Amino acid sequence: MRMLRVGRWITAIGLVLLAGVYVRALSFTPIEQSQGLAQKIFYLHVPAAIWAEMAMILVGLSSIFYLFTKDPRLDRFAASSAEVGTIFCAIVLTTGPIWGKPIWGTWWTWDARLTFTLFLFLLYVGYLLLRSAVPDPAMRARYAAVLGICGMCEVPFIHLSVYMFPTLHPMPIVLQPGRPKLPGSMLTTWLLSLGVFTLLYVGFVVQRYALSYLREQLEAVSEGGAGGGYA
Amino acid sequence: MPENGNYMIAAYILVGVILVGYALSLYLRTRRSLRA
Repeated sequence: MRMLRVGRWITAIGLVLLAGVYVRALSFTPIEQSQGLAQKIFYLHVPAAIWAEMAMILVGLSSIFYLFTKDPRLDRFAASSAEVGTIFCAIVLTTGPIWGKPIWGTWWTWDARLTFTLFLFLLYVGYLLLRSAVPDPAMRARYAAVLGICGMCEVPFIHLSVYMFPTLHPMPIVLQPGRPKLPGSMLTTWLLSLGVFTLLYVGFVVQRYALSYLREQLEAVSEGGAGGGYA
Repeated sequence: MPENGNYMIAAYILVGVILVGYALSLYLRTRRSLRA
């Protein structure tokens, strides 16, 4: 399958470039004076957070269009984006406490931003569990689409939580109105990392989409029909 | 400057393991489906 090969190549390039980001972040980016080396977790934590949220927005948008068009490709994309979003959200929820411990003095606090992010992760897990629990493809797609849209509605709360509630989590320093409050070399490393995470998201989703398509074809062959039962 | 490099190393290793692990999982799952 051509799509599978393309996905594998994009992922492989993304992983090689990730090694490049590691080298640049660890050796060629200045150390922040007040936080020390722990601040370098920022170069992985924030791009992963952006893609964890973007993935859910894309799940929600494709779910809305699915409910109108009943196009199985949109459902397949939503399922793929949700699985990859879960991985990125897991990265956010593990690197966050590792960064928080030396800076805040605690692994976890029930701060608005952290709690909303945990809720996003639970929505992702719920979405994947729902998909595996409903055997009928059409019903599965419809139920999952509703949950996907609910998940998308939660994303703005994560981003705005630092403005809406008194929180321990710092305010955005890049995704904020005005110029990013970050020195040039740190911003370059961060942008490179964001590019690599974007590449990895695309590579993973393309592969996961191809895998879903492959499984649907196998199911159709074993049931003696075609089309994956979305009618 | 605070001495907290071990936290940074732990985070970088963890992210690498998660991403490579997921890439490997996708590879193995598609290979299994292609063989079926």
